[in-house]
Amino acid sequence: MNTVWTLAQAGYPAALPEATLAHYLFVSAAMFVIGLIGFLTRRNLIIMFLCTELMFQAAGIALVSFSRFHMNMTGQSFVIFIVTVAAAEAAMALALVVLLFRKRESLDAEEWTELKG
Amino acid sequence: MLQYIHPLALYAACGIGAIGVCIALPRREGKNPQILGAVIASLAGAVVLISMGLAAGGFFGAGLSPSIYYYVFAFLALGASLRVITHPRPVYAALYFVLSILATAGLFLLLSAEFMAFALVIVYAGAILITYLFVIMLATQAPTEEMENALTEYDASAREPVVATAAGFVLLAVLSTLLFRGVQDLPHLKNNAGQSLLAEMPRKIESGLRASGKLPEGGKVITNEKGEATIDFAARSVQVKTAGGETVSVQLPADMAVSNVEMVGFNLLRDHPGSIEIAGVILLMAMLGAVVLSRKQVQLDEDAKERHAKSLAAEFAQGAETNP
Repeated sequence: MNTVWTLAQAGYPAALPEATLAHYLFVSAAMFVIGLIGFLTRRNLIIMFLCTELMFQAAGIALVSFSRFHMNMTGQSFVIFIVTVAAAEAAMALALVVLLFRKRESLDAEEWTELKG
Repeated sequence: MLQYIHPLALYAACGIGAIGVCIALPRREGKNPQILGAVIASLAGAVVLISMGLAAGGFFGAGLSPSIYYYVFAFLALGASLRVITHPRPVYAALYFVLSILATAGLFLLLSAEFMAFALVIVYAGAILITYLFVIMLATQAPTEEMENALTEYDASAREPVVATAAGFVLLAVLSTLLFRGVQDLPHLKNNAGQSLLAEMPRKIESGLRASGKLPEGGKVITNEKGEATIDFAARSVQVKTAGGETVSVQLPADMAVSNVEMVGFNLLRDHPGSIEIAGVILLMAMLGAVVLSRKQVQLDEDAKERHAKSLAAEFAQGAETNP
């Protein structure tokens, strides 16, 4: 294992120290919480979906920094799938928003309180 | 055991941050003190980062702390995210989201995830955000004459700002407490980061050797039956067969390494081929769903169809008369 490690260090930066990992994870957590607060407080449907994208971003930062910490590329492959799902979600959500806007002429989430069941 | 931040300091910072975000959220009454809120929130963030830097033994690359670019990009990413949720105008919120994506791409570059950084800029800032901007512009009531710059009621005021920020920052306090404690117990796997993949790319080695002039005339990198080159990783040398048929050991160039794109590509296509197929199906389904959902349903009965055809024919005849 050690012998392979020499080549890795020559061509690729060494693994992240724990303290640096903690810095990146803090940014990820803070971004996630900002997205969560936005999702809870904003009443515009489009901004609410924008905030879910922020939360996806935060998850992506955590995955990439763990991938770098463990020097394992699966984390980065996973972010590709997150981006795919985010794109699919954006397409569907925006189509829904357009549909809802046609019905009520408003983007207010509180117009749809009858959906709460 | 290293303590990144004193628990009380962390909780205090979360409380101050919650107050800042709560002040910055849009509300109806009076003028919004958004700058004041942003300053208070960034003060709270600075407390946490400074405390972490002290624990890591320095700032801006000293000790174990990340480089100065980390601080720049983290500040940009968090500030832009805060602006996304506090800006009352949706178009500006979407543009601040682009800024936050760009800063995140910067953080990815610092983590040497080049492929993800550029994919993020292309897919998010290039594609998804354009869709958002289009929908924001489509789904907005046309402003009337007298209130051209007025905000709609639902954009101008937040719903339950105090409860939501309190809940969010309690979550942040719990998350960061667990993160800072849990990070230290992580096993540090000395993975070789896929550098052994170099053996599977004999053609890359060959062209690298040729470019640096180290490949003997007519030489070929020796591969086994799986197509892998024979590399001595400790000595950084590879077995090469010369034109004369003898086997020599050639030193690899200093810059010969597996790049991030190659590692991600190998990982993606060799370890998760099924997931890619499923991702393709998800995208196809999303496309179909979006088309079905946003289709404008026009119901035409037989009479309406006939009237429409007649009016089209009349228009056509009129057009033929005026432009012979």
